[in-house]
Amino acid sequence: MAVAWIGNRDAPVQHAVEQAAELLAASRCPVISIDTDIHGTRAAIALAERIGAAYDHPFEGVARETATFTDRGGIFVSPGEVRRRADVVVVVGDLPAYSREFVSELAETVPDLAGDNSRSFFSVTGTPIGPFPADNQGPVTHLSCKGTDLTGTVAALRAHLAGRRISSPVENADRLSKALGHARFTAFLCSGAGLDDLALEMVQGLAADLNKKARASILLIPTSEAGWGSVLVSTWTTGLPLRTSFSRGAPEFDPWRWNVGRMIEEGEVDLHLWIGAGSPPAKNGDSKLIALTKTGQPVADAAITIPIGEPGADHDAVLLSARTGTLAARPASEPSRMPAAATVINSILEHLDPTC
Amino acid sequence: MLTKIAGGEIIDPVGGRHGVGDLWIEDGVIVDPPAGRNAETTVDASGCIVMAGAIDIHSHIGGGNVNTARLLLPEHHSAHLPRPSETPLSNLGWTAFQTGRLYAQMGFTTVVEPAMAPGNALHTHLELADIPIIDKATLAVLGNDDFLLSLIRDNASSSMIEDYVAWTVASSRALGAKVINAGGSAAFKENVRRFSLDDIVPSYGVSSRKIVKTLQMAVQNLGIPHPLHVHCNNLGMPGSVDTAAATIAAAEGVPLHLAHLQFYGYGTEGKRRFSSAASQLAEQVNATPEITIDVGQVMFGQTVTISSDVLRQFSARGNAHPKKSVIFDGDGNGGGIVPYRYRKDFYGSLQWAIGLELFLLITDPWRVFFTTDHPNGAPFTAYPALFELLMSKEARREMAEGLSASALALTTLLAIDREYTLEEIAVMTRAAPARLLGLKDRGNLAAGAIADVAVYRKGKDIAKMFGSAAFVFKDGELVVKDGEVVAHRWGRALRLAPQPDKTMVRRLEAYHQERYGLSLDWFDFPDWAIAREQPFSEVACAA
Repeated sequence: MAVAWIGNRDAPVQHAVEQAAELLAASRCPVISIDTDIHGTRAAIALAERIGAAYDHPFEGVARETATFTDRGGIFVSPGEVRRRADVVVVVGDLPAYSREFVSELAETVPDLAGDNSRSFFSVTGTPIGPFPADNQGPVTHLSCKGTDLTGTVAALRAHLAGRRISSPVENADRLSKALGHARFTAFLCSGAGLDDLALEMVQGLAADLNKKARASILLIPTSEAGWGSVLVSTWTTGLPLRTSFSRGAPEFDPWRWNVGRMIEEGEVDLHLWIGAGSPPAKNGDSKLIALTKTGQPVADAAITIPIGEPGADHDAVLLSARTGTLAARPASEPSRMPAAATVINSILEHLDPTC
Repeated sequence: MLTKIAGGEIIDPVGGRHGVGDLWIEDGVIVDPPAGRNAETTVDASGCIVMAGAIDIHSHIGGGNVNTARLLLPEHHSAHLPRPSETPLSNLGWTAFQTGRLYAQMGFTTVVEPAMAPGNALHTHLELADIPIIDKATLAVLGNDDFLLSLIRDNASSSMIEDYVAWTVASSRALGAKVINAGGSAAFKENVRRFSLDDIVPSYGVSSRKIVKTLQMAVQNLGIPHPLHVHCNNLGMPGSVDTAAATIAAAEGVPLHLAHLQFYGYGTEGKRRFSSAASQLAEQVNATPEITIDVGQVMFGQTVTISSDVLRQFSARGNAHPKKSVIFDGDGNGGGIVPYRYRKDFYGSLQWAIGLELFLLITDPWRVFFTTDHPNGAPFTAYPALFELLMSKEARREMAEGLSASALALTTLLAIDREYTLEEIAVMTRAAPARLLGLKDRGNLAAGAIADVAVYRKGKDIAKMFGSAAFVFKDGELVVKDGEVVAHRWGRALRLAPQPDKTMVRRLEAYHQERYGLSLDWFDFPDWAIAREQPFSEVACAA
């Protein structure tokens, strides 16, 4: 029998599952943090519906990316089209670390569907992007605006490109303006991991301005591939993205109210179910923690810890691939006996009182 | 289990049955009356009509663009929950789960998602797998993808193009192929803003007409039962009738299906230069036997338009209601999401009337299909009201009283006396879709057909009758009773499985590695990824 933990004591997984079901059923304000594969998310949402829980992803950037769609919409492009078509690439803000490989790929290739087989890079960020150095000696032209932050710089850049007066010039803005004048297809690369809501909106405005006469589009690189996959699942199963709750029976979406991190911090929660890798946030007050994570030891302060495998490594999984921009099947690369999150959650569901 | 549906008025145009009688079901299929055996379950269908389960050939129910529409409009879903009958999109089956339930309650048992991006096939099938009760199918979108356009530009042989189409349909688990504004999305990426049938896609030197004709012949030669499904250029534009007319003429004796023809029934007469050309289009369809069409009827109220015609959606984003939209420059077609409210003003009234004119002026119910292009013309939950409009001249007249008189004056609608019969409804929504899609096991009530059966309680209120089926059986299981879902089951996705040519697979692998830095795994996936037992059911290509 595989091992789980109740507190710090070893326990059979089956026993831990039963205990978890009891705790979840007894909870008056349960919340779930989901950072797992597609089928794990489906199971977690089914569990949330049964117990009246709110659910969320742990990374704030996922919520900002969600708001880009729910609040404003915009114009977006796939990674494949960026690689094959973008002759001007503008990186705005920090990108998730995992996307470095894609940016390197863009640096090593040229567009074959548009332009003159060359690609120029601009960066509205103070940190290095992909393989490039963080100064003007490399092939990247950096854009900056003294006396303001990143969001202000993007705003000043948009104003400059629209021909409006700005109080502080954007360094190298004319070079970008010239490049845009010749561009066949401009791609902006950004992420909720590196931009706040206002900056994300400003980038959309910039692209909208350019599309009046030319072509430009935005590659929104997810803060978390698992997180964006969970957003997609939640949307087709409940009609609503993450930060949704079943506390009143029907699903309700409220990005402030059902922000699980905020709820924990402000003591609104009596039970936190953590599903995924990484460390759950410190529990607050008397609330309890159930951790489903890949671990060989009990998680600190967890009432129950049940080990699960890594999707696509320990077990077959479906995950979002930011590289293709869609869902992909990932056979287990190092198959193990560690169960999938979906398996454990479905087992918990089977142990819940049917009236729950 | 042997079940008898007793004493209903059976309407089965394929089997030639129209009269009161019994229908027998056993082990999920319809059977001949068994001699010397009694039914274990008898369903009293007296006072009811009995038809095969309905089939919707064109309804956007799942996949990337549909899900993006959900993501764009959470306020509509949220508003709907506490006040379901009073809010925008209140009847829209917004989640995958609700979609299956609502279709089943109306007696629909098979629905086709008509716009699956091949690279997004796994996502699409995962969504479809979460739609309960009904069977589903998809059409794979081609015609803006670099690989095909390059083949055409380079004068590749027809067999090579057929190999590519076969691989696409097979790997994406589709039931057929569709082209959406052929070449238009590719042209838009090169900053083209208007694109017609004889315009040339920049960088390829290939016309939209050439793309349509190439795909039409590939589908025909591969024996794919459903003809090429065409979303023409210039959707929604005044004068779009010319584009549709030219596309119909381009069929040249080979089957071609034109989607949501209502959006192409627009002339340029009148002071607003927007008028009905439905009579002209209907006449041309009537005279062109190789053409089938679905209507894409407009009904009034809030909806959201979802299309892989990114060029059209980009142009329409200024009319968004509420004021937000998503435009996606995807691989191949991409797409656009633009919420929209159809008002009872001049334009909305004209669109509504044009759709009905097409329904009523196209004479052969085997060649005109019942759709609202869900949700583009209206949510599919508007179907019961639409049945009533087709079957009652009086209902049309009453509806017209609240609409723009100047718009209706530009149409022939109120002069049309035709009322659809139940037999014609059975053809248009059951028998004909099954034949068009190559689904020999459904759309009829003959022995051996799968037991997809819809039973409606007859009444003067046609919308009520079709909106709330008395009984619905799916694969022989009772799933709806008195308009309520009584059992959930997971349907399957119907697919073709043409054998991909190995040389083409190697070529595609090399192409994707070189051009995208990716393997073909992007497109293909194992069945375990769906996490349902037997998620697919294979349909045969013609020999």
